[in-house]
Amino acid sequence: MLEHGVLIVGSGLAGMRAALEVSEDPDLDVALLTKVHPLRSHSGAAQGGIAASLNNSNDEDSWELHMYDTIKGADFLADQNAAEILAREAPENIFELEHWGCAFSRLESGLIAQRRFGGHTQPRAVYAADRTGHALLTVLFEQLFRRGVKVYSEWYALDLVVRDNVCQGVVVYDILTGQIDAISAKAVLFATGGYGRAFQTTTNAAASTGDGIVMAYRAGIPLEDMEFVQFHPTGLQGSGILLSEAARGEGAHILNAEGRRFMEDYAPERMELAPRDIVARAEQTEIDEGRGVTDKKDSVFMDFSPIGEERIRYALPSVLHLARDFAGIDPLQSPVPIQPTAHYSMGGIPCDVDGMVRLKDQNDTPIVGFYVAGECSCVSVHGANRLGTNSLLEAVVFGRRAGRAIRTAMSDLAPTRIDEGDLQRAVAEVDRLLKGNGPERAGAIRQELREVMMIDCGVFRTEPQLKNCLSTLKTLQERYQRISIDDKGWQFNTDLVEAIELGHMLEYAEVIITGALAREESRGGHFRKDFPTRDDQRWHKHTLAYRTDDAPRLAYADVNMQPKYRDPFPLEERKY
Amino acid sequence: MPKQDFVIERYDPATGRNYEQQFTAEYESGQTVLDCLNDIKWTQDGTLSFRWSCRHAICGSCAMKVNGRSMLACKTQVTDIVGRGDPIRVAPMGNQKVVKDLVVDISNFLDAFERAETWLQEIPDQAPPSREYRTSKDEFDRWSHTATCIHCGACYSDCTVVATDPKFLGPAALAKAYRFVFDSRDSKKRERLEFLSEKHGIWDCTRCFMCIEACPKDVLPMDAIMELRTEAMREGITNNHGSRHSNAFRGGVRKRGRLDEATLPILSAGMRLGAIPELIGYTPGALRLLKSRKLLMAAKRHGANREGRQHIRRIFDEVEAEKARGAVDAEAFAAERSSALMAH
Repeated sequence: MLEHGVLIVGSGLAGMRAALEVSEDPDLDVALLTKVHPLRSHSGAAQGGIAASLNNSNDEDSWELHMYDTIKGADFLADQNAAEILAREAPENIFELEHWGCAFSRLESGLIAQRRFGGHTQPRAVYAADRTGHALLTVLFEQLFRRGVKVYSEWYALDLVVRDNVCQGVVVYDILTGQIDAISAKAVLFATGGYGRAFQTTTNAAASTGDGIVMAYRAGIPLEDMEFVQFHPTGLQGSGILLSEAARGEGAHILNAEGRRFMEDYAPERMELAPRDIVARAEQTEIDEGRGVTDKKDSVFMDFSPIGEERIRYALPSVLHLARDFAGIDPLQSPVPIQPTAHYSMGGIPCDVDGMVRLKDQNDTPIVGFYVAGECSCVSVHGANRLGTNSLLEAVVFGRRAGRAIRTAMSDLAPTRIDEGDLQRAVAEVDRLLKGNGPERAGAIRQELREVMMIDCGVFRTEPQLKNCLSTLKTLQERYQRISIDDKGWQFNTDLVEAIELGHMLEYAEVIITGALAREESRGGHFRKDFPTRDDQRWHKHTLAYRTDDAPRLAYADVNMQPKYRDPFPLEERKY
Repeated sequence: MPKQDFVIERYDPATGRNYEQQFTAEYESGQTVLDCLNDIKWTQDGTLSFRWSCRHAICGSCAMKVNGRSMLACKTQVTDIVGRGDPIRVAPMGNQKVVKDLVVDISNFLDAFERAETWLQEIPDQAPPSREYRTSKDEFDRWSHTATCIHCGACYSDCTVVATDPKFLGPAALAKAYRFVFDSRDSKKRERLEFLSEKHGIWDCTRCFMCIEACPKDVLPMDAIMELRTEAMREGITNNHGSRHSNAFRGGVRKRGRLDEATLPILSAGMRLGAIPELIGYTPGALRLLKSRKLLMAAKRHGANREGRQHIRRIFDEVEAEKARGAVDAEAFAAERSSALMAH
């Protein structure tokens, strides 16, 4: 049985930022556990930028404008106290990262460069060419390395142990040796990322299987707003690999089969730079109505010619390479077929603005010693739809805040304990998978899950679709009980890890569908064709889904309308 | 769909067995080696083990040897490498211990970054500015390409120096060190260059170009190593074999119009007491050269004639004069590099 003062699970931006913050206190024993090496974390795939009202490219920006854009982008489901913190604390976080050596792109003046991004009214995206996440991930890892924080690399968390609303620690699995162990800690922070892998077309890495979210759910914690999944409008046709929104920020056009910039029909003022959910729906509508391109007519064109060759090479080198290497198309020569692709998980584990997990019930019950940050959390700053460049920002702002909160709370937290029984549950589940000899294969179940989620729980949803999706899912869950895996060994058993991940996907997919079926309105990333408008009267509230032995039980919580430093932004129609 | 054979080098840590196994996978145009490996794993043999995550060349997980060269499986299109009916050979990265199948232990590769302290070292006792440090665009453009390294290890895997000296820092860590040497926010330029000039550092590179070939992100590690050498010498860090060798090489050519093999090892070792063991070590080789009359012939017969020597000296003078005028400066170099990158 291992023990640490603080255990952080997940090594992307949020996890590493939190770990660094905790390590500011040299007396605290902090460890970071991750199923991939920290440098492999999916934060590194973020391309376009990180938002902050620095006013380096103009002088009209302010944290209040940033806050407003965020709330409007969220279709008014964001908690306003959280959105306020996100916008207010953005600049100091950027400067701190810059002081650590982050390779941000520069203006001629030597200041950090900024550019335009969808849904933001000001040019406030700070960037490192089009590999901003990679630059941030690298700098945080450098600092972590420098401070000698203990890293459990390629260790997989299997189970979160919570007793009487107090977090005890985590049951873990060393992928290299296959050894199952437990780590008890006074404070546990999950920064385990999103859940996009349940969809066929996705930008998400293989690792984004919602592990932390499901562990919390199984420990009795509700999941918030899981039905809100962001579909990014510019995924490469077929693979869904992301082409950065920076392409549109730099001036790329989106065209239908008629060669027309169809965004003029959907968002005449912002055009291609409307928020992602709006552009993705516009694309899907064009495709559904027969104006798609290529033989399959399942995509639209992104046209880079308005940007100019020199600028493309300088500001969008990754986009250029991605289109060439993964679609075989040279954006300098011809337009690139793109389609909506599952990208970001707005929902997650409910928490307050200091990352402390709270049930958001009548008493706002806290789970003592359990914290979350980044994409697996639901603070909620993104509400029903996240604006581009706000996710990296959320990860560092709230990773830092959670780290600080843990540092402060440590002296009040009691020692924790993991029992043999807690360990045995995880051992038994692993054993079941290793010994299973049923006829089903994990790969086939995963494939069917991803297809049905994409078709029936995707950009557009209807009641019959969602019901079909749910019944298919139920069958898949049953089949999962009868799987067998090929690799029965202990060492580096990725066959086993993938099977456990599939179990997580089947569990959270049910929460997404159930929440989507209940929410009879359209808001942000959730669009019901049978209820095509936003209904504030009934639905201006967060969904909370509790696990039961039967179907998920739904409850609801108010949206926070009490920012600290200004009046709340009243609900208004969301037009661009 | 066309079919393709794969021969995969496998290792089972439970039994210690090394073997090759052949699989056949179907592929569509646009599919990558990683897609095929996953297809094999998911439909044929779940025990096949390899790392992967992002599948678009940014997480750095899936470097492996494909047909003998290190590359990212996710970035390698099957159609680009299929031969006429030949199987595609897949093996784990080189220069690192195999853990299982295509998974290797990357700790030696990562340790090099720690040894080179590749993180920003601030100016001591000085609070950072209230906003950002000003960094010129030119400076950013000079080193930003080296900051694109995804730590995949492909360069390390194919490095011919690591193969013989596991302590060699390797292309990736050296390219990363380059970025901090030229980052104006860093306060340890001199110390870094001194450390990098020691054994297992910049002077051990053999300029074989393998790292440049292997790198999936155009970091150009070898170019960075060469620039570090120049910068170290400019800083006067010349008390080492590498820079003495470089000076002797240049001095010999300038003086005699050709490489002076007789004096090169002596000048590289340096006129100092500590060089004696090294010089003694050269003796057998020198004797062999003498015996086969190569050393004397080199000095006597193959020197350039007078006219040739003068011509070569003029080239040296002109380059040095241009350097003094500032025409061959960092900016010109960066411009040249970026155009080379575009061509690449």
